[in-house]
Amino acid sequence: MSVLPWCVAAWLFAVGIYGVVTSRHYVHLVGCLSVCQSATYVLLLAVGFHWNAGPPIFYDHPPGTPAVDPVVQALVLTDIVIGATVTALLLAIVVQVQKLSGSVDPQRLRPLRPNA
Amino acid sequence: MRARWRAAGLAVSTVALLPAAWSVIVAMPSFGEHVSPYGAAVNAVVPAARHVSNMVAAVNFDLRGLDTLGEESMLLCAVTGTVVLLRGARGEETSGSAIRLPGRAIAQRSDATILICRFAATLLFFFGVYVALHGLVTPGGGFQGGVVIASALLLLYLGEGYAHWRSIVRGRVLSVLEGAGALLFVLVGLIPLAFGKAAFQNILPLGTFRDLYAGGTMVVVNAAVACAVAGGFTLILLEFMEETRAPETETEPGEGG
Repeated sequence: MSVLPWCVAAWLFAVGIYGVVTSRHYVHLVGCLSVCQSATYVLLLAVGFHWNAGPPIFYDHPPGTPAVDPVVQALVLTDIVIGATVTALLLAIVVQVQKLSGSVDPQRLRPLRPNA
Repeated sequence: MRARWRAAGLAVSTVALLPAAWSVIVAMPSFGEHVSPYGAAVNAVVPAARHVSNMVAAVNFDLRGLDTLGEESMLLCAVTGTVVLLRGARGEETSGSAIRLPGRAIAQRSDATILICRFAATLLFFFGVYVALHGLVTPGGGFQGGVVIASALLLLYLGEGYAHWRSIVRGRVLSVLEGAGALLFVLVGLIPLAFGKAAFQNILPLGTFRDLYAGGTMVVVNAAVACAVAGGFTLILLEFMEETRAPETETEPGEGG
């Protein structure tokens, strides 16, 4: 039981990588990259978790009550926001690739040449 | 053929890395029983030292403010890159008509959709502002609130259609929001230097614990992040929406979308 969260994180990352390697569509590839990234969320939140501890927000319960690690939660929070914008950037690149080469299959893409 | 080689490479590296991954997994501290000294120190010290009740926001906007500034610049870069890529290839001109695929039916929006979207978008917008404002007190903050505000604006598009949406949501305002948010963040970091203090030092009065104004400069940084995230995300949505517009040369009537 105590190794399950780390196994889940490793499995998510591996599944994402498998999707990236075997992908036949760039949008699918970007989605797989997001799966890889969610492995980091699982890992970070699992590192910060503690049994019998509440959220690190001392509004309802006074400061001093046991709380989980807020630092990793802050990392995950910014990670999610940056991940969303980077996904948008990648999808914008996909749109340009489709316009330039007419294909969204990573395995059919050839290097771009000037005046080609 | 190349695909097969790639899959074989993946299989080989998986087999090679599996024992390494397993030894790391076994060596990790037991789940839920390890207390990190840094997090415990933050939980113990910050409520009294900074008068805020949301530790996650305190870490983001004060204790590790420099980190968040880095993430803020990544946000700015990613949004700028998306806008440059899409707008650079498309051009600055915008047209009101959508690209029409021949043979695809144009579904009319029902009155119920318009009504529900107007209600829901308004509620969601104010919920986003609420989440952002109370970020230092209860769960929430500029990042979450900004994303909620951006989704409220997208809901407005669903209800009103493209032309009305563009007349409400101005691209220039969004760029200014995004840029001004990032600039405000940098200023909060630099202004203490002018007074001979350390960068990102909390120089404003700290306010009262569990109050809307609590945390000094964190309030300003929180607002800056909310502006930047709301502006940046809506700008991305707007640029992708522009991709579905027909070029100016085709003059098809209709509002579409």
